[in-house]
Amino acid sequence: MDPRISLLQEFSRGFIPGTAKVETEQYGFPFLDRLLSDGASLEYGELTATRLLHKYKLVNLSARRMDELLQLHITKECNVCRYFDASANNVFCFNLDNNHKTNNTAVIPEITLALRGLRDCLVDRGLMPLIVASGRGYHVWCRLNEPVDNNRLYQFMLRAAVHALLPFHGRGYDHKAVKFNFYPDIKAHNVVSLRLFGSDHAKNKVFSRVLTPDRLLGEAASWDYFGDFLRNKAIPSARFTAAFNALPALL
Amino acid sequence: MKEPANPAGSIAPTVGVADPRTIAIDLDDTLNNFTETLRHAAYPFTPADGLPEATFHHYLEGIRQDAPEAGDLLSTEYSFLRYKVHAQCYRQARARADGVAFMRWLRRNHWRIVICTQRDLRRAHDDTRAWLAERDIPFDYLFMARNKIVFCKAWGIRHLVDDDGFNLAHGGRYDVNVYYPIMPKHQSLPAHTARGFRTFEEVQRWIQG
Repeated sequence: MDPRISLLQEFSRGFIPGTAKVETEQYGFPFLDRLLSDGASLEYGELTATRLLHKYKLVNLSARRMDELLQLHITKECNVCRYFDASANNVFCFNLDNNHKTNNTAVIPEITLALRGLRDCLVDRGLMPLIVASGRGYHVWCRLNEPVDNNRLYQFMLRAAVHALLPFHGRGYDHKAVKFNFYPDIKAHNVVSLRLFGSDHAKNKVFSRVLTPDRLLGEAASWDYFGDFLRNKAIPSARFTAAFNALPALL
Repeated sequence: MKEPANPAGSIAPTVGVADPRTIAIDLDDTLNNFTETLRHAAYPFTPADGLPEATFHHYLEGIRQDAPEAGDLLSTEYSFLRYKVHAQCYRQARARADGVAFMRWLRRNHWRIVICTQRDLRRAHDDTRAWLAERDIPFDYLFMARNKIVFCKAWGIRHLVDDDGFNLAHGGRYDVNVYYPIMPKHQSLPAHTARGFRTFEEVQRWIQG
């Protein structure tokens, strides 16, 4: 087995089993029949506005079929997006997007500023994130050594995001230019999915490169960094609790 | 990719291979009375919506009139309120009785039925499925598509029932037969080949012809 699949399996361990959204430019009923041939069901499909890119939300995928999809994800024949567990997760993610209707794959100054604030907020508290260029912004992942209740994760992300946006004040930046989404989303855990690391963005075909404090890594170096993140960057519960308590609660 | 070990990689799409017994059906203002519900259903102010009351009523009026939002931002207070109001309408909209009968006729006659909607099914999926199930409306697949003509063409679907003027105008050029419930908004459209109907029994006759 491709060792990269093992990495994605390890990373995905806490997500909803057998559920994924697949992004691909393949379509048609024969294709769909094969996609569902191992017992999976289509919850819904979508033709996007980008070329003939289709998205399929699949449920009841077998473990074997999920691994096959991960292989296709790695070889960039499709993208696999996963859904977070409804109650507790050992990973959480801030999704920072350019919130404009036009030219929204551009990395605007507000995104850069918010990302810097967020990274500082996390790193200063000992939470080492995996930051991935997502196509419209960045995914900022953190991984815990054991699952934490979704409400607590959400509250933490809310506090951290507010902290990250504080530098906007008095500098002429509009915080509305950045769309902050939190995963798991306590209001829509089974609704929104997030693309896994290791593939190209469906719209602009840019690989999900890892961003370090110094630079954006190439594809191979990004995989190396991802492996290291999984092996060495899991956050102990006590450290997460300390970080949670150190950020001021919101009214 | 070897079949079936890899489900997606090398599967050639069947572009344009038309299946004569597949039909795509729209939901809003085709199978239901979405716009009427949007215009008239109560949606009371609540502080939980997080807006000042005057702003809430201003936004709600715009949403009822399907007014586009000014500005270049994607996600706003207005778009979030619109999502919530629409979600309520999806649940409350009334089904057309002849439309329901038509869908059941399609099932009895072994048509492949694709519900094809512009709704954001990421968020509207559960409400949509529940609405269909409560009314015992059969279907095979649920799809969201902004451009339904491209969708039908790509998937080889020759019949589309839909009220949107764009689809009426462009279906003929791409060999998609479009049938639409006649509404006042259609009177100002340029010439097209779509067929307007007053009851679904007419569509039933036409697709058998």
